Amino acid sequence: MTNRRATIQALNERYVACQSCDALWPRPQLEPGQRARCPRCHSVVLANKTRGVERTTALMLASLVVYIVAIAFPFMSMERAGLSNEISVIDAVTILWSNGMGVLAITTGLLILLFPLTRVVMILVLHAVVHRRLGKPAHHAFLLRIGQMIEPWAMADIFMIGVIVSLVKVGSLARIEVGPAFWAMSALIVFMAMGTSATCRDTVWDMLRQRL
Amino acid sequence: MRTATEAGLVLCRSCGTLSDVAEGRCTVCGATLRRPDRRGLQAVWAYWLAGILAYIPGNILPIMLTQSVSGVSESTILGGVVTLLHHGSYGIAAVIFIASIGVPVSKFMVIAWLALSIQKGWSVNNHQRHRAHQAIEFIGRWSMIDVFVVAALAALIQVGGLMSIAPGIGVNAFAMSVVLTMFSAMSLDPRLIWDRPSQESRITDEH
Repeated sequence: MTNRRATIQALNERYVACQSCDALWPRPQLEPGQRARCPRCHSVVLANKTRGVERTTALMLASLVVYIVAIAFPFMSMERAGLSNEISVIDAVTILWSNGMGVLAITTGLLILLFPLTRVVMILVLHAVVHRRLGKPAHHAFLLRIGQMIEPWAMADIFMIGVIVSLVKVGSLARIEVGPAFWAMSALIVFMAMGTSATCRDTVWDMLRQRL
Repeated sequence: MRTATEAGLVLCRSCGTLSDVAEGRCTVCGATLRRPDRRGLQAVWAYWLAGILAYIPGNILPIMLTQSVSGVSESTILGGVVTLLHHGSYGIAAVIFIASIGVPVSKFMVIAWLALSIQKGWSVNNHQRHRAHQAIEFIGRWSMIDVFVVAALAALIQVGGLMSIAPGIGVNAFAMSVVLTMFSAMSLDPRLIWDRPSQESRITDEH
């Protein structure tokens, strides 16, 4: 067991393979801020982003704060002929559910509420603990793997575009106003996108590999 | 140059760790290790076909039912685009048309082209195929826009008999189609694009 791990560590200290084309290269030594591209397919093989762990922690923490605001406060309200209706994002999902639109309620609930939260929490927890020697590397690896896997399915960004389109669609029929949660959700997609681009996967996986 | 596979190694697609081919799971992250294998294209085709089958009702059936004092009106995806055009919202109409029709249709074509070119060994520019694959992985999820439009409207526009909006059955089929095509694109292992199929080319490469 120990021997097997030592072999894998030695192998990965010497070589790196391209995720896109499988080409095997001697592992380059990168300074912070540098990245290496695969000579064959030009994909980034290895990156060493500056202060990746700190920046990701900060941005994911900010994402978590605005996420809470985004679900707790009113998101949109409409008024037509004296009747008004104000909803939060959670209301939106429960209204769909209670009006017999179960499939749409579940799809929306997962893609805009559960998956973004899961991603933010997993990436945040991982980056907050990874450089301290808290917890087991296997648990950290699990968090990062799920956090990476869920990334395309966290669709808060697409939801916001959908909301803007729907504002235009019914703007002539009813008076629609956006609430604080709308702005919090806008901030969420900005912080999440920045957090994703600040994350240096290679650095974190390296730390975890060395602690095996 | 040689590949990890040729060196008897396998690359973890989750964490980038190189392991011996004998390993079944990655020692670092626990993901299942898979060598580039053309049999994996079976999954690409299965999701692709299921995605097309769901895309058809997603476009034909109504995605949104609007109930107002003048009765119930149904609208399909294309119908919604036409309505937006009538109201002069050209930009929004373009966004919906591109996200709901342009992106899915080009995605079906690009995935089929990539999978066929790998299976049949067509001589295509690898950089071009690589860029096409990256592009469909990046834009595929944006097709969900119309689903969220319907969800937002159905949740917000609920004022009793005066006006209410409900999702049509087509929106479920459409959402299913987007999910299935995302799975299809994800199942396509980009390493197969760069695979050298014939023995001859391998020999010339080594000289």
